[in-house]
Amino acid sequence: MKRWECLEAGCVFSVTKASDEDLVAAAQAHVRESHGSIELEEVILAGAKELGDGSH
Amino acid sequence: MGTFAEIRPVESRFRFTRELMAGSIYRKYEKATRKFWDPKEFDYAEDARDWKRLTDSQREGILTITVRFEAGEQEVTDELLPTIAAAHALGRFDWVMFLSTFMLEEARHSEFFALWHDRVVGILEPAEKAAHWPLRDHTVDPSGRFQVGEPVYEGIPKYGKKLMDAVHSGDEAAIEGAFVQFVTLYNAWVEGVLTMPSYEIVVDTTEMWDALPTLRLGFRSILGDEGRHITFGTEACRLLIEKNPAYEALVHAVVDEYRGNAVGMLEYQRNVPGLDLDKYQRQKVRHYRNRCRELGITPDQTLIDQILDPTIDFVVGVEAG
Repeated sequence: MKRWECLEAGCVFSVTKASDEDLVAAAQAHVRESHGSIELEEVILAGAKELGDGSH
Repeated sequence: MGTFAEIRPVESRFRFTRELMAGSIYRKYEKATRKFWDPKEFDYAEDARDWKRLTDSQREGILTITVRFEAGEQEVTDELLPTIAAAHALGRFDWVMFLSTFMLEEARHSEFFALWHDRVVGILEPAEKAAHWPLRDHTVDPSGRFQVGEPVYEGIPKYGKKLMDAVHSGDEAAIEGAFVQFVTLYNAWVEGVLTMPSYEIVVDTTEMWDALPTLRLGFRSILGDEGRHITFGTEACRLLIEKNPAYEALVHAVVDEYRGNAVGMLEYQRNVPGLDLDKYQRQKVRHYRNRCRELGITPDQTLIDQILDPTIDFVVGVEAG
């Protein structure tokens, strides 16, 4: 599982997904719908945290 | 004359290892080779038809951005070499591999803008494009607190020379420090923060006008490449900062040197009518925080506050004071 947190000013959104593909899709949808902006696939993956067992 | 083994042990002539091939930088190289695109395969006819129906102010608004992009892409293609020399000197074959795709991609971005300007606008020669160049010294902070610098045309060559001098010295710490400075300016600050609003301005503008689909396609294609470039730079720097935490101060110093370029929207970003410039200004905070997260460093809160401060704004064409 991986978690990505949005770092837009004032935003507290985070998302946890099992696959990179789902994580990128969810993060890009959030940035597009909430901030009218683009977040790059590589940036999302570089900023994602791997969660260990029991942390989700 | 020595034997082959004396000249160079045979084992050292091979670079690939399981660790290298499992690493994230090699993965970026693989991705770059998989996601190849060619601007010569784009169809520029619809953009050429749209260009004829745009008003003069619409044309000038978009051209002030595209001419800066073309020049900037050419500049970075030409100035990337020191990073390859440094990667070689540091024994990072995965970095050399990735940087070979990086340089090709910067050249491809340059070619895209040259083709678009030629086939859509009908300009190709340098003097034809220079006529549309917005002068940076016309962007001023009325309060006089911040100066807008030239990170691409002054900063990157300066730090490139420093990096190349370090490579020639053979001093590993000097190479690492100069690499951190160059890559912070180029990948993290210029590509990763300062330029990001301009991509979105072009995408938003072409959608708002329902025009220039190939320009939009080109910008989206370039953005895909930029994601790899930015995160290569921040990951390489993070590895060096983990090795020597003192390098974090170099990152903050380089950003601080060109702080003025982030605290307001610049001349070429303000020419398209009807856009919410505050949106692009706010996004810079996300990009800056993203870069710091990737680098594993603490963001400078005063910089964030200044980016978001509505009382700090630039004007174009008015002298300070």
